[in-house]
Amino acid sequence: METDIAVKASKLSRHFGTFTAVDEISFEVKKGEIFGFLGANGAGKTTAIKMLCGLIKPTSGEAYVAGYNINTDSSMVKKHIGYMSQKFSLYEDLTVKENIEFYGGIYGLSRKEIFEKTKKLLSELHLEKMRDSLTKALPLGWKQRLALSTALLHDPSIIFLDEPTGGVDPISRKNFWRIIYEIANQGKTVFVTTHYMDEAEYCNRLSVMFKGKIIEIGTPTELKNKYNKPSIQDVFIELVTRN
Amino acid sequence: MRQIFYLIQKEFRQIFRDKSMIGILFIIPLIQIFILGNAVTTDVKNIKLVVQDQDKTPYSRELLRQFIHSGYFKINGIEEDYNKLSSYLDSGKANLVIVIPKHFQRDIVLGNKPDIQLLVDGVDGNSSGVSLGYVNDIMQNYQERLIEHLPELSLQIKNMHRVEAEPRFWFNPNLESKPYIVPGIIALILLVITLFLTSMGVVREKEIGTLEQLMVTPIKSYQLVTGKIIPFCILGLLEIMIGMGFVYLIFGIGIKGSFFLILFESLIFVLSTLGLGIFISTISDTQQQALFMAWFFMIFSILLSGFFIPIANMPPVIQQITRLNPLRYFIVILREIYLKGTSLKDLIPETLSMITFSACLFFAAVIRFKKKLG
Ligand SMILES: Nc1ncnc2c1ncn2[C@@H]1O[C@H](COP(=O)(O)OP(=O)(O)O)[C@@H](O)[C@H]1O
Ligand SMILES: [Mg+2]
Repeated sequence: METDIAVKASKLSRHFGTFTAVDEISFEVKKGEIFGFLGANGAGKTTAIKMLCGLIKPTSGEAYVAGYNINTDSSMVKKHIGYMSQKFSLYEDLTVKENIEFYGGIYGLSRKEIFEKTKKLLSELHLEKMRDSLTKALPLGWKQRLALSTALLHDPSIIFLDEPTGGVDPISRKNFWRIIYEIANQGKTVFVTTHYMDEAEYCNRLSVMFKGKIIEIGTPTELKNKYNKPSIQDVFIELVTRN
Repeated sequence: MRQIFYLIQKEFRQIFRDKSMIGILFIIPLIQIFILGNAVTTDVKNIKLVVQDQDKTPYSRELLRQFIHSGYFKINGIEEDYNKLSSYLDSGKANLVIVIPKHFQRDIVLGNKPDIQLLVDGVDGNSSGVSLGYVNDIMQNYQERLIEHLPELSLQIKNMHRVEAEPRFWFNPNLESKPYIVPGIIALILLVITLFLTSMGVVREKEIGTLEQLMVTPIKSYQLVTGKIIPFCILGLLEIMIGMGFVYLIFGIGIKGSFFLILFESLIFVLSTLGLGIFISTISDTQQQALFMAWFFMIFSILLSGFFIPIANMPPVIQQITRLNPLRYFIVILREIYLKGTSLKDLIPETLSMITFSACLFFAAVIRFKKKLG
């Protein structure tokens, strides 16, 4: 049964000095699932995601991503994941096309593949006209879609999205989630963090983080039934007041 | 390898996209060469001169005229009272006092040896030595002019007293400081450009988050480092070529030795500045911090290079410390190649020292960078 698990964390912790940012979290994410991390700012979502991506080392505990141990095999992990950080991190002083070309090159795509991918991405994103504009000239919603596309250039099986829709208008957020569903339909696992309650409803499964701990985990429906609340927002408020 | 190519391509695109960067790349060397070349000078000029002409004949006046026309001296007074002369030196109103004796003209014509008395303020030994050199030159010119105008005197003049010590400065005959300073400036340009670009370049990616984005790709840290330093290395070499061009245009100073040897030595030197830049990027989180640190290291390596302060004038402990400074060797090497046309064969000790310390610095920095990225 190991084979249909994309991410498995056991007692993963991260301390910064005496402060515990992530406190012994354990969970499993199935392949093809949209798995959400819901939590207020400072709950530890980013720290958790960075450990899974191999950007920072856990203080204790371990995790497997795409079947590879993050402590010992982080270079294999990196081959199989895509990551879109909380902060927009493409090169604003490069054009749309140059950014795609650069990350394609870094992921080791051939020149021909880069050329084809660029064409495909630009048409999917309706960015053909902006091809040669500097990335900083794009509206935020488009920037984030571009960032998502570049994170998918190398066709990873798992994609980590850290607050991908932060600061974006509701319509762009809807559009973005449409893309997330498309990605999941292709069989990819989507690991997404958010502090928007409505977005949490879109996830297949959800874990609620509070002060570094996972305090609840389940499908949105399960959680609403368990706490007998009409929305995830109400569940979240209930959970936070209890803790 | 392909990854490194894409990193380099990206770096150049960013550099040349930034219009102000292009300005900086051309203007920094121009300003450095122009300002430093003109301001940092060890030429002794405006030597304060006080004269006493006891002869007051056409010959003595001609000699004084030559002093004034040389451009090195500023006549600060004519004193008739012999006893007051030394007070000019004491008060600092004169660096040099010349006394032309009575019967100066008569003695020359008769073939005797008139003795000119010079009183020199020896506090600044370097300057007084240089000013005596000027006096020597002027006297020589004066004698040659006399022979020209009065060929019948040539025999007597040959018998005249000549200054015994006759220092000869070979590679820089006028003891001009520019040819001496300029190779140092070229070295500084290379130091400044590569050190600042590298440290800021890496930290900027940290700040905007692209470094993190790169770290989730399967790219190796050695590829990342190589992709970062090759562009700055190329830029640094381009920069010194521009610099050498300016030096030629502005000061008319060309390279006596091999241009390619300069590039080769520069390449070794640049290892140290790139290493330092990478090191700075591992201890700074913001571009301001990086700028400050780069500034700090830059001042240190310049002060301890012998560029402004001769190493021989430093306390022994500091002199030993300068041995660890690659810039120290690089400036010497550049001067040798620039002024004397020295070949690699004769620069082996300096080159080896520079290789050793540059390579140590570079690899230590790269290892630290690797560790930092985890
Ligand atoms: N590098 C760090 N050093 C010290 N504290 C940190 C560091 N990174 C994050 N933290 C702290 O850890 C906590 C969790 O942060 P983060 O994971 O970014 O939360 P979230 O993404 O849920 O908003 C915060 O209180 C934050 O201040
Ligand atoms: Mg966060």
